[in-house]
Formats: sequence, structure tokens, C-alpha cells
Amino acid sequence: MTKSGMKVWKVALIGNPNSGKSTVFNQLTGLRQKTGNFPGVTVDVKEGALHLPNGLEAILYDFPGTYSLYPTSSDERIVSAVLTNQQHQFFPDILVYVADVTNLEKHLLLFSQLLDLQFPLILALNMSDVAAEEGLLIQADVLSRNFNVPVVSISGRTGANIPDLMREIGLLLTFHMSNKVAYQRFHDCSDVEKQVVGAVQQNLGMENAYMALLTAHHHDWLPHLTKSEQETLAAIVATKGLQSLRAQVDETLDRFDKFIPIVKDAIKSPPVFPVTATDRLDAVMTHRFWGPVLFFSVMLLVFQAIFDWSQYPMDTIEGGFAALNGMIRYALGDSWFTRLLTDGILSGLSGILVFVPQIAILFLLITVLEEVGYMARVVFMFDRIMRRFGMNGRSIVALISGGACAVPAIMSSRTIGNWKERLITVLVTPFISCSARLPVYSVLIALAIPSDRVLGIFSWQSLTFAGMYALGVVAALSAGWLMKKYLRTREPSYLAIQLPVYRMPYWKNVWLTVWEKVWAFISGAGKVIVVISLVLWALSNFGPGDSMEVAAETAWKTAHANGLDEAAIADAQAASRLEASWAGQLGKSIEWAIKPLGYDWKIGIALVTSFAAREVFVGTMSTLYSIGSAEDDALLRVKMASAVWPDGSQVYTLATAMSLLVFYALAMQCMSTLVVVKKETGGWKWAIFQFVFMGLLAYFSAFIVYQLLR
Amino acid sequence: MQRRFRTLRDLRQHETARTISIADPALACKLTPMGLLPGSNIEMVRKSPFGNAYYIKADGVRLALREEEAAHILLEA
Repeated sequence: MTKSGMKVWKVALIGNPNSGKSTVFNQLTGLRQKTGNFPGVTVDVKEGALHLPNGLEAILYDFPGTYSLYPTSSDERIVSAVLTNQQHQFFPDILVYVADVTNLEKHLLLFSQLLDLQFPLILALNMSDVAAEEGLLIQADVLSRNFNVPVVSISGRTGANIPDLMREIGLLLTFHMSNKVAYQRFHDCSDVEKQVVGAVQQNLGMENAYMALLTAHHHDWLPHLTKSEQETLAAIVATKGLQSLRAQVDETLDRFDKFIPIVKDAIKSPPVFPVTATDRLDAVMTHRFWGPVLFFSVMLLVFQAIFDWSQYPMDTIEGGFAALNGMIRYALGDSWFTRLLTDGILSGLSGILVFVPQIAILFLLITVLEEVGYMARVVFMFDRIMRRFGMNGRSIVALISGGACAVPAIMSSRTIGNWKERLITVLVTPFISCSARLPVYSVLIALAIPSDRVLGIFSWQSLTFAGMYALGVVAALSAGWLMKKYLRTREPSYLAIQLPVYRMPYWKNVWLTVWEKVWAFISGAGKVIVVISLVLWALSNFGPGDSMEVAAETAWKTAHANGLDEAAIADAQAASRLEASWAGQLGKSIEWAIKPLGYDWKIGIALVTSFAAREVFVGTMSTLYSIGSAEDDALLRVKMASAVWPDGSQVYTLATAMSLLVFYALAMQCMSTLVVVKKETGGWKWAIFQFVFMGLLAYFSAFIVYQLLR
Repeated sequence: MQRRFRTLRDLRQHETARTISIADPALACKLTPMGLLPGSNIEMVRKSPFGNAYYIKADGVRLALREEEAAHILLEA
């Protein structure tokens, strides 16, 4: 209900993958959209407001694309789960079915199932502009008469006839208030199916016959069924002898037999499939030799963009924050409040925003590759290799996205149907070096690795960078290979993927996706980072009792006695205060455990705080070396380079730096990722397994590296 | 023995044939909704770079399948 008391209708956009559904969604809703979550599962549903021309108000939901109400992956299951549950909060009043009209014969299976569920429906024939170019003759009125639904020819890309679709939605809602729909059936039940349907209707009090049949097929996983309902259904399926897989295939074929004549009647297409641009492109893009070469060139471009091109906006952001920091200090003077504002809040904010350029660039490139249809080709080309490591061709999309951030990467694994392959993908993706590791790598590499050149072009530093990425890939693949040996499943695994026609990206989709991902990062990871940086500020500014004052007093006396100047005295005091603070105590209490890796108590604090997110390491180090306000990597490196153990030996030797690099490459130092893994795998079990596994691997690898290099 | 059918695996590049049926019900559940039906016209477009997967066209729809999936798809001889 809105404020004015008018009913808000629910409209669902539904269709096959590659039907151009999300483009139609963006055309209908524009920027009035947000991403929500299906309760209980982490499948996103986009929703947007529809202000219909006849004054009605509606919410439009964009359901995941699926071929059928017999789903084969977890995001497809959502569609069946909602549409068979009239109490579901997303259960729609009417449906808009989006079909690719250039291949309508293959796009109407799901449509025919929805008709059997007796949903009020509008058939939107998408890509009608392409159809016109290809010389297809479409008689929308014939389709409309035979299916008994309104039919609108539209184009998501050009926006053609979108207002007509809006008007039809309004009309159908109005009509639906007082009328029930009645459609022809597209499936004649077998005797067994009839008996099952009768029994389900009787026991569960279900009106619609097809809904009863679907509920029987899906009784073991539909989330809204009670335990006793599931048992009843299982008994019905067993006693009536419903063979689910066979029945599904027979039903599917029956449906194609019934609707293909209607389509043939309405659409006159050229009899042969011409060789198109897609065929010519694929001859190169999926070529035995040139295909992989092109793929690795594209990846090179992606990395170049992330490392190089993002520097300019990143420098601007950092510079802006440094300037703001200076202004606040100048305006407010030095007080605990100023320090809270600058060292606590501002340094946290800058730590988040500085990643925005990299994340935006990565998602821009990945989204474009997805939009043009290239990602499906990558899946096809690399399926074999990924399967060696317990994964699926589709996993490569997750692993590549993991180079920006594991959180969206892990979410993208939902399209993998096989549970074991999906689990392995989820578990190993965080090994891929994400953008949050970049600041840690760059500080440590600049600190400990000489900038000499090798072979004239490469520097040792950039080689180490490349090495860290290689280490991530090797760790991910080896872990996958190991898990493949030890995880058992009887579930079949399939490649079976459609290779869509290449199209120019629809830029509105691209920008909206990039914006959505960047915002998810800022609001999700961002909150955590700001909170951590506040906690950290408190821990390092307060200590037990008056220990910090005492420490500062002692430091002042010692420094004075040694005849140091004012600045040096202040530095010595700050360092002593920190050592006496809660943070210092915490770091010291774990020093015994990390000393074998070459770390002192300051690194210990950073390890603890950066559990929240890896990039917190740099912020923590800045605070610990009392330059937190300056946000200056170069100054931090100078301070770290001069850090010494109590016996006067240097802390950041090559061995310690390498050991830290390896630790950060392998350890699961990211709270957000853990939470996502918990959600995606349905419990803490795998999240904890992953944390322990990665943690132990990181600890022992770092130990070995330190002991070998020291 | 002369078989009266072939499987999709037996198709050479650019060869076409009509499907008879999909022998594995679980695979059929996955493929029929994507439009690979009995009677579909199949063209073998190419093999994947590292082998093991096929790029095919079923009534003009481009699909990628694994070798063992293709082995379950029966074609007219």
C-alpha cells in the first residue's frame, strides 16, 4: 500500500537467459531501481518502480533468466520456488514474458508452462529491430489470437514500443482486477501424471493442476513446503510411480510439439541460417590457437587497466583526502576530537574510496565482455582445464572477477549447476589476488625489493608483483585439485551452455552494473572498514590505566637526558604511548606466535586488524608509525625501513617482507568474503573450513619463506 | 555391426545431421529446454582449443557441449 492507500501491484519480468530481459528492465524502470535479496538465499532480485500510464502503481521484479520451470542451477530454482508459492512476498499479480523474437521457437517453453499456471501474461517480443533487419515477418496478432495473450513487439536496445508495453501492463492489471484468465493447455498429462495431480490437489488443497504437478516434481527442495507436506508428496510420487526425469523430458517435448505450429503460423523466416558476423568472429575468437591467444591478450589489457590507468584517479582521491586532512587540522587545532576525525574517520574513508577506480575499471571490462557475449566463449574454451582442478568452465568468470574482489566473484558462481564444482569455485576464489591486496603488496615490495632492472625492461619490483599474482593462481588451482580428490558427489556435471550472438554492449546496462557493484563495495565493505579504523584508533589512543601517560613521561625524560631535539622527543613519546596502548598490548601478546615468521608486535597488530580487510594493513601501519594523518606511502616506507628489533637489527629485511607478502597472498583476511561464503554455502561450516585452511597454509608458507631467506 | 544411428561425437567439422533422441534423461532435462530436440538439425562447428568440448549449432542456436554429453545425443545415420 502506498501513502495514498492505493494498491501497489507486483509485476514480474521473466524469460530465458539471453532474451535481453535486463535491458528491457532498465528501459522500463530507468534509475528507479534497487537490488534486493530473496529471503533465505542470496540470489539478487532487481526491483524498480513502474508508474503506469493509467495511474496504477506497480513494482517490477526482474527474475533470474531460466529455460524452464525444471531448474538446473540455484538461481533458476528461485523462479520455480516463487511461482509455486502464492504466499511468497514476490508472487506476482501479472507476468511480462520477454522472448527473443529472432529465435522464438526456442524461447517459448517457459512461456507455455506459465500459461498452464494460469498467470495473466503479456508476451513481449524483444529484438524486433534485429528481426526486421534479418527479414523476419512477424504477425503479432496471430500469436496474440492463438495464445490468447496481449503481444507487443519491442526493442530493449532502441527503446522502441516500450511505452506500448507500459500501457499493456496497465490494461492487463485493470482487467485482472475483475476477470480470470483462461488459456489453452500446452501439456496433456499422462495417466501417471493425472493420478499424481489428483492426489496432490486433494492432499494440499491446490487448485491449479500444473502447480500441483510442479510441486510433486520439486517436493524435495521447494522451501515453502513443510516437513509433513514433503513426506506426503514423496509418498504420492513413489506410490503413483512418477519418474521425474522421464516425465520432465516427455512434458518438454509435448510442449514444443504444441506451440511450434503456432509459431510457424505467425512467423515467416528465411529457410536457411545465413553465415553471420557471429560465425565469422567465432572462427577467430574460439579458434584452436588464436582463441586462447586473444583471451590472454584481453587479460593483459585488463591488468594494464587496473594497475596503470587507475593510478590517476587514485592519486587524485588520495591527494584530496590529504588536503582535507590538513585543512581540518589547521582549522580545529590538535585535540582528541581532531585526531578522531582525521586518524579515525577520514583515513578509513580514504582507504575505501581509493579502491573505487580499480573496482569500477575491472567491472566495466568484465561487464562489457559479458554483454558482448564473449564470456560464454571463454567458458567453452577453458572448460577442460578448469575441470582438471575440480571446477567448471563457468568458474573462470568467478576466478577472473576475483582479481578485483572475491565478494561479487563468489556471487557469480550461482550459475554453476553442480554443487561440488560450485563449492570448489567458492572456496578457491579468495586465493586470487584481489585489489585489496594491492596496497599491501605495493608498500612491502617498494620497501624490500630493489628497483634494479632485469634484462633491461623488467624491474625486480614488477616481477615480484607478477609473482604474487602467479602465486594466487597456483594456490587456487592446487587447492581445487586437492578438493576435487576429497569431495564426493553423485550429481552430474554439465557444460551445456548457449553461445549468444555477439552484440554491441548496451551502455546503459553496463553503467548500471558498474554503479551497482561499486556501490555494493562502498556500502558493504566500506562500513566494516570505517568501523575497524575507528576501533583501531581507540585501541591505539587509549591504554590500561595511566600506562600511556607514564610511558610518555619516561620517554620524555630519557629523550631529554640524551639531548634530542623537540621533534625527535615528540616522535619518541608517540611511539612509547602506542607501545603502552591496548593495541600495543594486543600485538605483544601474540608476538611469540608470529616471531618465527619474522614479524614484530607492530606487524602483529596489523595482522589482527586486517582480518577485517587486507587493505587495513596499510592504514594500521600508518597509525603505528605515527604518520596516520599523512596518508603518505613514501613516508610510511621510510619509517618502516628504519624500524628495528630491540637488539638493533632491522625488522623489514627481505625475509620478513617476503614472508609477509606470502602471508597476505594466501591468508583469508577478509570478513566480507567470509560472510558471503557463509551465505552462499548455506552455513558456517565451509566458511570456517576455508578460514582455517587458508590461515594454516599462509602461516606455514610464510614460516618456510622466512626461515629460508633469513 | 552396422549401427542405424551415430552420436554427435561422430560428426566431423561442418557436417550436419538430424537428432533422433537424447539417451540420458538427466542430460535431456538440461538440453531440451535449450532447444536441442529430437529432429533438430545439428551442425558441428568446431572443437574447443584444448579438446573435449564441441561448439555446435542446433537449428541455428549456438551451443557448447562436452564430449561425454555429445556421446548421449543420437543422430540419424
